[in-house]
Amino acid sequence: MKQIENRVHPLHEFIQQLQTGKALLKDTPENVLEVVGILKSYGVVLDAYSQNLIYIADHQFLVFFPFFKYFNGKISLPQLFRHWWHDRINFEYAEYCMKTMMWHGGGGLDSYLDSPEFAHRAQAVISAKFKYNLGVIGLNQLFPDFLIEQLRMSAYYSGLGQFWRVMADIFLSLSDLYDLGKITSIPQVVEHIKAGLVKDALKPITYQVKIGEQVYDIIPKSMGLTFLADTAIPYVEAVFFRGTPFLGTVSLNAQAYQVPPDQARFEYGALYADPLPIGGSGVPPTLLMHDMRHYLPEYLHQTYRRSLRGEDDLLVQICISFQKSMFCVTTAAILGLMPYAIDTEDPSEQTANLVYLEKWMDRFKTSRLLEANN
Amino acid sequence: MMLSTLILLPLIGAAVIGFYPTAISGKTARQISLSIAGMIFLWTVLLTIRFDPNQGNVQFTESLIWIDVLGLNYRLGVDGLSLPLLLLNGILTVIAIYSTDESIQRPKFYYSLIFLLSTGVIGAFLAQDLLLFFLFYELELIPLYLLIAIWGGIRKGYAATKFLIYTALSGILILASFLGMIWLSHSPSFALETVNAHTLPLTTQLLLLAGIIIGFGIKIPLVPFHTWLPDAHVEASTPISVLLAGVLLKLGTYGLVRFGMNLLPQAWEYAAPTLATWAVISVLFGASCAIAQKDMKKMVAYSSIGHMGYVLLATAAATPLSVLGAIMQMVSHGLISAMLFLLVGVVYKKAGSRDLEVLRGLLNPERGMPVVGTLMILGVMASAGIPGMVGFISEFIIFRGSYEVFPVQTLLSMVGTGLTAVYFLILVNRAFFGRLSPQVVRLPRIYLSDRLPAVVLAGLIIILGIQPSWLTHWSQATVQVSVQKPASQLTQVSK
Repeated sequence: MKQIENRVHPLHEFIQQLQTGKALLKDTPENVLEVVGILKSYGVVLDAYSQNLIYIADHQFLVFFPFFKYFNGKISLPQLFRHWWHDRINFEYAEYCMKTMMWHGGGGLDSYLDSPEFAHRAQAVISAKFKYNLGVIGLNQLFPDFLIEQLRMSAYYSGLGQFWRVMADIFLSLSDLYDLGKITSIPQVVEHIKAGLVKDALKPITYQVKIGEQVYDIIPKSMGLTFLADTAIPYVEAVFFRGTPFLGTVSLNAQAYQVPPDQARFEYGALYADPLPIGGSGVPPTLLMHDMRHYLPEYLHQTYRRSLRGEDDLLVQICISFQKSMFCVTTAAILGLMPYAIDTEDPSEQTANLVYLEKWMDRFKTSRLLEANN
Repeated sequence: MMLSTLILLPLIGAAVIGFYPTAISGKTARQISLSIAGMIFLWTVLLTIRFDPNQGNVQFTESLIWIDVLGLNYRLGVDGLSLPLLLLNGILTVIAIYSTDESIQRPKFYYSLIFLLSTGVIGAFLAQDLLLFFLFYELELIPLYLLIAIWGGIRKGYAATKFLIYTALSGILILASFLGMIWLSHSPSFALETVNAHTLPLTTQLLLLAGIIIGFGIKIPLVPFHTWLPDAHVEASTPISVLLAGVLLKLGTYGLVRFGMNLLPQAWEYAAPTLATWAVISVLFGASCAIAQKDMKKMVAYSSIGHMGYVLLATAAATPLSVLGAIMQMVSHGLISAMLFLLVGVVYKKAGSRDLEVLRGLLNPERGMPVVGTLMILGVMASAGIPGMVGFISEFIIFRGSYEVFPVQTLLSMVGTGLTAVYFLILVNRAFFGRLSPQVVRLPRIYLSDRLPAVVLAGLIIILGIQPSWLTHWSQATVQVSVQKPASQLTQVSK
């Protein structure tokens, strides 16, 4: 295949890799083991996260004090004690991602939630929900944006829940194939994820709530919101790339312009995260690492045990593996969204592909791409 | 025979391990040595239990005529000044052996030298005869020289030779003063109770005292005789640094109290203002040098120079309270500096560097050494005299006891505690806070055995800080006797 020479970009090596259908992550047996293993545990955790997000969206919408939102409707004293003992999944991390998505916006879901159509539908739900609650109806008149904003958030709960439902299945099926010996390389991992994304690309994203016997469509199917364009891409943008400046061992001072005033220039996402502060209290990604450590497949756990510090730095090792796996997911997204086929012979299409890849690579300049490959 | 047994135990230990018939691994040698060191410590504890703290005089005395023509007697005894130091030696010897690397080269020779060192130290603390003290004082010089010269760092030869020259000079000065005290005063023997040096003219006493102060001042060390110490510490292995800072420096301060303050009280009183000023210089110089250090071990070494200055101040003031504070400070500095050297040793062993410009973020909970860092913070707080730990009690007693005699020098010395906080905060801030530096991002695992010795010392530092009377009550009676009565009267009392 005739390729356009590209030696100018500092990450031209990775551009060339992508142009030949390879991944951003080096293809080694160790990387395959790490990526598949960590995605298996991530799949289990995502499954739980998605169930809880959908439960909150469906059953806890417009509940002002959702004390039991993490219980998925199954409240019992032993479960309460387990919750207080912290023998549970950290659903707070799922909410952190949801809020990050909502804050950064992007995609059709964001546009729809700002439309009069949504406001109209939301108002109908509010009226039905608080039909006999004059106090809240009065408050809604005084502060008309408040309850609508709550429903916007519920819509994001649902959207992310549906997105993760698909992703959890992709990751778990990847692990099954690896166990059967059918996945042996990083390009195969990327291909599996890409195929999964493409397969469900047009899966509709909808959101309905039930009040009494009446079902209300908050995001109707007719709006045409789909899995890939309206949840997957905004999610990758918000969580993988932008993220939010979180508390850790490094303090950021927004007033000293250490945090960019433009959200689009944020680089606090999973692909940029420093694995070392992991373990500091209150750092949201730590919650995910804590959750994943309970579901590590034995082969990966053994690899970690054999490392220099054994299990002493398990969270950091999980974070490093997770970051590698996220570069694979990002590769799948980049390849899946290529403007033209990778093997195109048309010079103008090749140029368009190159421009597209260079734009991505510009964003990777400050990421941990090089560290993940060392 | 309790005291002779205490001297013989490490000597036998040295022989057992040194002449062990077959080749043994470092691990086995360490286990045998630990057993012997444990026995020595338990014997010291037994001695402590049987010691009567209400008696200020020397107890468990043992006496044998050794070389009659020279007036050399084998006279041993223990009092409230030497007992805490014997305990300190006992526990730090166990800790030093425990902290020794199992893979150490020539383990039989190494451990036998440690026991010889211990023999010298115990003998020096128990000796009630000037010449016998000197023999034991010189005995510890050889094993320590070898321990630095054989198992030391890159510049071990230089450091060991420097240590040897300085300490040999110290020995010459001390011996000359001892001989002068006996011969000029026509004392019948070298036995402490018969020394009549206080009857000598003041000028002669001052000359003899100068020899003693400089001799022991090298050992303490006092500025400007201190330059051997940072080199010795930097080049010595961690267990040897523990013994050096924890016990061996105390021979110097012990000598000042026992032979300077007690035997030449008139000259001591005359020289006291100079000594107090000298103490201030040592405290401030040591602290200032520590602030400028980039090597963690050198910083702790210079801090020792500063902290031993407090002992000189207290001894110069020579009030019952200040002398009690001096004894407390000897013990507390022994515990704290040993702990700090142990922790620096762990950092060096794992990170491969002690450089404060390289180390950063070691408190990282996942990849760093958070427990070591926490213990280090505790150690530096103790060293800086934070209440609740033994360092505070000893420094407070020293300042309280010295202020009434030397208010200006005491106040200036108190500045030293502030400076201690400064340099140790620099150490903790640079090495332990922030993000892990790339050079040390892949630290090996830290095991319980790495932390255990420092944990034990931290426990003692806190327990004695909360309940200082467990330490002071062994020495109070002795302090009362030695401060209030000149040597001649001491002799009468002890008979």
